[in-house]
Amino acid sequence: MALLEVENLQVHFRTPVGVNRAVDGVSFHVNEGETLAIVGESGCGKSVTSMSLLRLIPEPPGKIAGAIRFGGKDLLALSEKEMRAIRGNDISMIFQEPMTSLNPVLTVGRQIGETLRLHQGLDAKAAEDKAVEMLTLVGIPAPARRVREYPHQLSGGMRQRVMIAIALACNPKLLIADEPTTALDVTIQAQILDLMRDLKQRVGAAIVLITHDLGVVAEVAERVMVMYAGRKVEEAPVRELFANPRHPYTQGLLGAVPKLGSSLTQESSRLAEIPGQVPSLTRPIVGCVFAGRCAIATDICRAYAPALEPKGPRHAAACHYALKEAAAA
Amino acid sequence: MLGYILRRTLSTIPVMAMVGLFVFSLLYIAPGDPAAVIAGDQASPEDIARIRANLGLDRPFLVQFGEWGWRTLHADLGTSIFTGLPVTQMIGQRIEPTLSLMVLTLIFAIVVSVPMGVVAAWKAGTWIDRGIMTFAVLGFSVPVFVIGYVLAYVFALQLDWFPVQGYTPITQGLGPWLGNLVLPALSLGCVYIALIARITRASMLEVLAQDYVRTAKAKGLGQKDVLFLHALKNAAVPIVTVIGIGIALLIGGAVVTESVFAIPGLGRLTVDAILRRDYPVIQGVVLLFSFVYVLVNLVIDILYTFLDPRIRY
Repeated sequence: MALLEVENLQVHFRTPVGVNRAVDGVSFHVNEGETLAIVGESGCGKSVTSMSLLRLIPEPPGKIAGAIRFGGKDLLALSEKEMRAIRGNDISMIFQEPMTSLNPVLTVGRQIGETLRLHQGLDAKAAEDKAVEMLTLVGIPAPARRVREYPHQLSGGMRQRVMIAIALACNPKLLIADEPTTALDVTIQAQILDLMRDLKQRVGAAIVLITHDLGVVAEVAERVMVMYAGRKVEEAPVRELFANPRHPYTQGLLGAVPKLGSSLTQESSRLAEIPGQVPSLTRPIVGCVFAGRCAIATDICRAYAPALEPKGPRHAAACHYALKEAAAA
Repeated sequence: MLGYILRRTLSTIPVMAMVGLFVFSLLYIAPGDPAAVIAGDQASPEDIARIRANLGLDRPFLVQFGEWGWRTLHADLGTSIFTGLPVTQMIGQRIEPTLSLMVLTLIFAIVVSVPMGVVAAWKAGTWIDRGIMTFAVLGFSVPVFVIGYVLAYVFALQLDWFPVQGYTPITQGLGPWLGNLVLPALSLGCVYIALIARITRASMLEVLAQDYVRTAKAKGLGQKDVLFLHALKNAAVPIVTVIGIGIALLIGGAVVTESVFAIPGLGRLTVDAILRRDYPVIQGVVLLFSFVYVLVNLVIDILYTFLDPRIRY
């Protein structure tokens, strides 16, 4: 059985210019111990999706509809108090900005220990001991000294390690990582990804990884879901997606990644770009959400929204023209 | 840390010296001749000159300042021209009511205003927020004496819950002491509450938009912990600053409040001294108030380093 099942998730925000349909009818699932990557460019609704899993969307102006079932329980039906018992305990989250996501006036140990005291009822002493243990686990040198330090005394990479330590302190079943490496140097990125992969094996948590970095996806994810303008446009196992992208948007994303060994002077190896920008989500979109930027769009695309259809083994895409087999494309 | 506290404490010395110079200069800046006041209407120019010589007023400014400063450092603030009593003794007799009023107002104001500001920020844009902020604008706009008279009329004259005026020393029981101070502290506290609540709201609004507040929520913390631990500690520096600056409001307000409620404190002493041109008393009181102000802000500067570990000087 799937650990997390999201069905027809809709996250809408009331704004002065109309209702913003940030996420509009997205369904997906995550199996136990699995890593699902959600990719897409800025504003496609991937962060909103991740925040809504923990019900961290302020309501109002936001509104979450659909169903989010975690271990069989519908999270949207829980009271705020029941939801709090899940946050940081069964499901925890790592954020994009390690520089600003830690509280600057509380010690690192306090911030790690807090979840332990809250969810596992540890006393202050035991929580601090466990915090030292967690810092050791995430590879921070001199953990006994570091627990007493404040975030500003740590580097960006160290802070993200602390965030991971906070997130993993209560042995969550599901870890949501929202662009965990985006704000870090490339070398630190690699270290953090290694750490996440390593800890995943040890802790056995499932991961929902939100990113726009396809390199990160290739390295850690098992399955990929591509989002565009608040909808899911394609989903496939990671190898399958990289080998046979069906949706023109996914093809565009992959085309925009520089390849090793290509030179800028060769015309053929120029990076492809996806022209145009994400459509406004405050107006209802008729037809395919990607039609306005799609090179192969026709009148059908502009009139009817394509349904998400199977395009291969465990592979689905929402495109009128994505053919069943890659060979035909 | 200790070095910082020491340096910060030493830096108050030049400040106090400047205050001293200003306070002493009052004598020269203010119109009227104290010697002529003491001598009375019938005095001849010779009498006035003699009194002036007795008071040392005929000597050079710097010499007088030096002597006055030296005496002040030894807790000798001179004698009152009007009563002939030592100024320190006069202040000593009047300090308890004023200190009681100020400390009570301070505690009351902080306890009320900070949660008010926090709730207003949390509920920003709702009718709760608007209600609190309307009260804050009112509290800031209505003068202390108006609030004082209204409170005295309603709660003392009509409802008879508290005495109309006067003061009971704390040595005669906590109840009577508190009873006499409730209305004055309420009226004096209004401006202060309004000021602190507004700053708390503004500072909290900024902090609540920060990423670490979202992290705190994602950890499963309750609303109370998120607001009063994670957010308020980050929002504390501007709040504590305005509490310190507001002490000046409190001192000014205490003078008026003591008049309204007939409290025999330093405020009344100050007003009386000014009316009588009793310069040593004026100097003594102003010096004391300045000292309290500098001291409070010293404590606040030191508090900063405890509130925010990033602050180092």
